[in-house]
Amino acid sequence: MAVQGIWSGTISFSLVAIPVRLVKAIEPRGVSFHLLHSKDYSRLSRKMFCPEENTMVPPDEIVRGYEILPDKYILMTDEELESVSPERSRTIEIVEFIDTKDVDPIYYDHPYYLVPSKGGEKAYQLLVEVMRRTNKAGLAKFVMAEREYLVAVFSRDGALALTTLHYSDEILPDEDMSPKKGKIGAEEESRMKKSIEQMIEDFNPGKYADERRKKLVDLLATKAKEKALVEAPAVEEEEGEGPADLVAALEESMRKVKAR
Amino acid sequence: MAGATIWKGYIHFGDTDVPVKLHSAVREERIQFHLLHKRDQVKLRQQMICAYEKQPVPAEEQTKGFEVEEGKYIIIDPEELEKTVPEGNRMIEVHEFVKAAQIDPIFVDRVYYLEPDIANIQGKGYDAFVKALKEMDVAGICTWTMRKRSYFGALQASGKVLRLNTLRYADEVVPAASLGLQGVPLSEKELMIGSELIDKLTAPFEPRKFENEHQKKLQDMIEKKARGEKIAVLAPRRLQPTESDQLLEVLEASLKKAA
Repeated sequence: MAVQGIWSGTISFSLVAIPVRLVKAIEPRGVSFHLLHSKDYSRLSRKMFCPEENTMVPPDEIVRGYEILPDKYILMTDEELESVSPERSRTIEIVEFIDTKDVDPIYYDHPYYLVPSKGGEKAYQLLVEVMRRTNKAGLAKFVMAEREYLVAVFSRDGALALTTLHYSDEILPDEDMSPKKGKIGAEEESRMKKSIEQMIEDFNPGKYADERRKKLVDLLATKAKEKALVEAPAVEEEEGEGPADLVAALEESMRKVKAR
Repeated sequence: MAGATIWKGYIHFGDTDVPVKLHSAVREERIQFHLLHKRDQVKLRQQMICAYEKQPVPAEEQTKGFEVEEGKYIIIDPEELEKTVPEGNRMIEVHEFVKAAQIDPIFVDRVYYLEPDIANIQGKGYDAFVKALKEMDVAGICTWTMRKRSYFGALQASGKVLRLNTLRYADEVVPAASLGLQGVPLSEKELMIGSELIDKLTAPFEPRKFENEHQKKLQDMIEKKARGEKIAVLAPRRLQPTESDQLLEVLEASLKKAA
C-alpha cells in the first residue's frame, strides 16, 4: 500500500540510514463546506491573482519574495532555499536520544508518521523496536518548506511517529502566572485530593466528540430532507495547470493546521 | 512575559470552582515570504475564482454548500450555521482525572497557561489544585467552549502553574495500523546492539541546546542577495541507505564509533 508522502528523504542515527517518507498523523474530521458562487452554485477555488494585470497566475509564474522595503522584494528560488541548510533538507539526522518521559509536552507542535521507503523496512523496524524497549525518543533537526524543524521521533504502535517541537525561545515564560502569596490550607488540600481521587479513570479520548460537528451533521440531515439540492453547471476539466507547487501546498496545509 | 489574556472562565469539578485566565504559552516568529508574479514582481493576492465563469467572486456572492454528491449541494445560510455554535458558559468542566503518563503525546494540540483570576472573589483553590495534580501525578480531562468552538483538553500542573492542553478528537488521529507496515524479522543480536547503541547516544532533554540556525542562515542569505552578491546553490545531502544484510555490521561499527 502506497501512502503518499509530504516529504521524502532518510532518517539516520549514527551510521545507520533509513529511507523514509513523512505522512500525516492527523486527519481533520470537521464537517467541511465548499464555497460556492451564489449566482450559479459553481465551486469557488482559491487562486493566486495578479492585481496589476487582473489575471489568474499559474503556479509556474509564481516566485517567492522577501520584502526588504515596502513593495521591494528579494526573490528566492526553491534551489536557493534548499541550499540554506543542504545537510538537513533531505536528512533527518538523530543527534541524540532522550528518555521519552523527560520531554515536556509544552514543546509538542504537530505530529506526523514516518513510513519506510523500499529497502528501509528492516532498519526502520529495528529503530521502532529498540526505542520501544528502551523508552527512548530521538531528537533531530530537518528542513522542510523553508523552515527548520526540531523534531522528536517516537516509537508508537509499531511505527515511527515524528513530532515537530517548538524551539525553547518560542516558549513564553510562566513565572508571572502563579500567585505570589498564599498558604494552602491542609483541609482544602485534602478535600480536593479526595474529590480528584473519586474521579480517576483511564485515559479514553474516544469518549469525547466534537459537539459542534454533531450539530452540523444534524442540521445537514434535516435540510437534506426538507429542501431540494442545488446543482452546479458542468465545467470541462482545466488543462495545462502544470505541476502543483508542493511547497505552496505545504505552507497552505501548515497554515490550516495552525489556524485550527 | 506570557501573552495577553485570551479568555476568562472557571474550572469546575465536584464542588470546586477555580476562576482562571487563559494565556498563550508559545509564540512563533518566522521569516515571511510573499508570493509574487514572476513577470512584474507584483504581490499576488488570493481570490476566489468561480469554476464556471473563471472570474473572481466578491465576498457577498459567496455562499457555503455541503456536497451531497458530485456537483450537488445543500446550501447553508450563515444564520443556520450560527445556530450550531455551541453555547459558551465560561466553564471548563472536568469530567475525570487520568494518570498524566497515560496521555498519548499524539493527542496534544495547543498549550495554554492558566493564571488564577484573583479579581474574582472566589479566586482561591488554584494553588491547592496545582499541588494536588502534581502530587497525585494526574491530569484533568475537560471540555469547554471558547471562540465558538467546543474543545476537549487536559489540565496539568507544571511547577506552580496550571496548563491547559487542547487535545485532538480521537477520530482525527490516524492509527498506526492504517499505515500498512509489514513486520520484518530481526535477530536478538541486532536488537541488543541497537539498544546498547541508543543507550550510548542518550543525553538529557535540553531543548535550549537547539537553536533555529536555519532562520539565521536564511536571514544572511537574504542580506547577501540584497547586496547583490551571488548565491552558491548547493545540492542537498542525501545519505546512502543502509542495506538490510549489512545492518548488523553497521550497528557494530556505530557502537564502536560511539564508544
